[in-house]
Amino acid sequence: MKLILPDRSVRVLDISPSTLEAILLSLGINPLEVIASRNGILVTEDTVIGLDDEIRLLRIAHGG
Amino acid sequence: MVPGPEVPRCSICTDPAVLFQRGNGRHLCGTHAISDICDRVSATIREEEMIVPGDRVAVALSGGKDSTALLMILNRLLPSLKGVSLVAITIDEGIAGYRDETVRSAGNLVSSLGVEHISLSFPDLFGNTLDQFLKGREKEACTVCGILRKKALITGSERAGATKLATGHNLDDEAQSVLMNIFRGDFSRLVRNSGADSSGRFIPRIKPLKGISEKEIATFLLLNNAWTDLPECPYSGYALRREVRSMLSGLEYRHPGTMQHLMESKKKIEKYCASTYTREPIRRCRVCGDPSSGELCQLCQLRSSLVR
Repeated sequence: MKLILPDRSVRVLDISPSTLEAILLSLGINPLEVIASRNGILVTEDTVIGLDDEIRLLRIAHGG
Repeated sequence: MVPGPEVPRCSICTDPAVLFQRGNGRHLCGTHAISDICDRVSATIREEEMIVPGDRVAVALSGGKDSTALLMILNRLLPSLKGVSLVAITIDEGIAGYRDETVRSAGNLVSSLGVEHISLSFPDLFGNTLDQFLKGREKEACTVCGILRKKALITGSERAGATKLATGHNLDDEAQSVLMNIFRGDFSRLVRNSGADSSGRFIPRIKPLKGISEKEIATFLLLNNAWTDLPECPYSGYALRREVRSMLSGLEYRHPGTMQHLMESKKKIEKYCASTYTREPIRRCRVCGDPSSGELCQLCQLRSSLVR
């Protein structure tokens, strides 16, 4: 799967299908601090992500 | 694009879910997420009598996500708020590389909604930008900015003839403030309710989004195509709030409902203290005449140390 991080850097992860929540936690990201879209559609953190998916993360906690 | 089979479904209509409310275990689709958020804001306004018929509500509109969502939601609720009018107030503090974008975003929003807009800047009101005021005292950024911005918003609200000043503080902000006040030992702020009866001395502040989480607000904006990836305030790294936010967010994830429980605790403390805790009487600042708890208001105390 392709993961586009909030800083717009891209990571390709070779993982077996797992929930978005599990993927985020493995990367040290609190699921409450980001919003995710899969292939352009908003998804919840308990969505199962497949190998061919493209996930984009937006960071929601901003200062100021 | 059609969502895959593993997409969780809305608890109300079975459409694909876009929001998971961890506190109550509910999934919501886009339509039901928007209506749930607006309904809860409406309920907060009603239950706490934040807005009454005939009010002219000044909305503090920085152009960031919270104030953007607040103006959009209040504008949406306007037909149900009899005789109520809105006016947006934008303050340009003068923060290079940050505020220009959010001010532009605020301008675009009021144009699209057709809401009256008043813009003020720190140089106009106080003689210099926040960046200049903070040279050599960056660690005080949030305190200095908070005092000046509060005065600027009150000035804007008075010019607009507003009867209420609405700010975009959300559940996360409010829960963070409770913890920060405890960490600082600031009991007076902990039990203070800015929306309480002001007896006409200042424009009451209201926080209609105080029951809505930061994630719900971001979801609301994305669903309404109103999300803008704006830069972060360059001074936020100095703030205690950043550390508290991270800690609280971790707790909320591991123990859903933590922030809500914190707010309920604050409410109980407020209630218990109402009969025993004597608040400082509100006086008038001897220099500017503004309402103040001391002889000098915070702004006048700050003014003498500001670089012009």
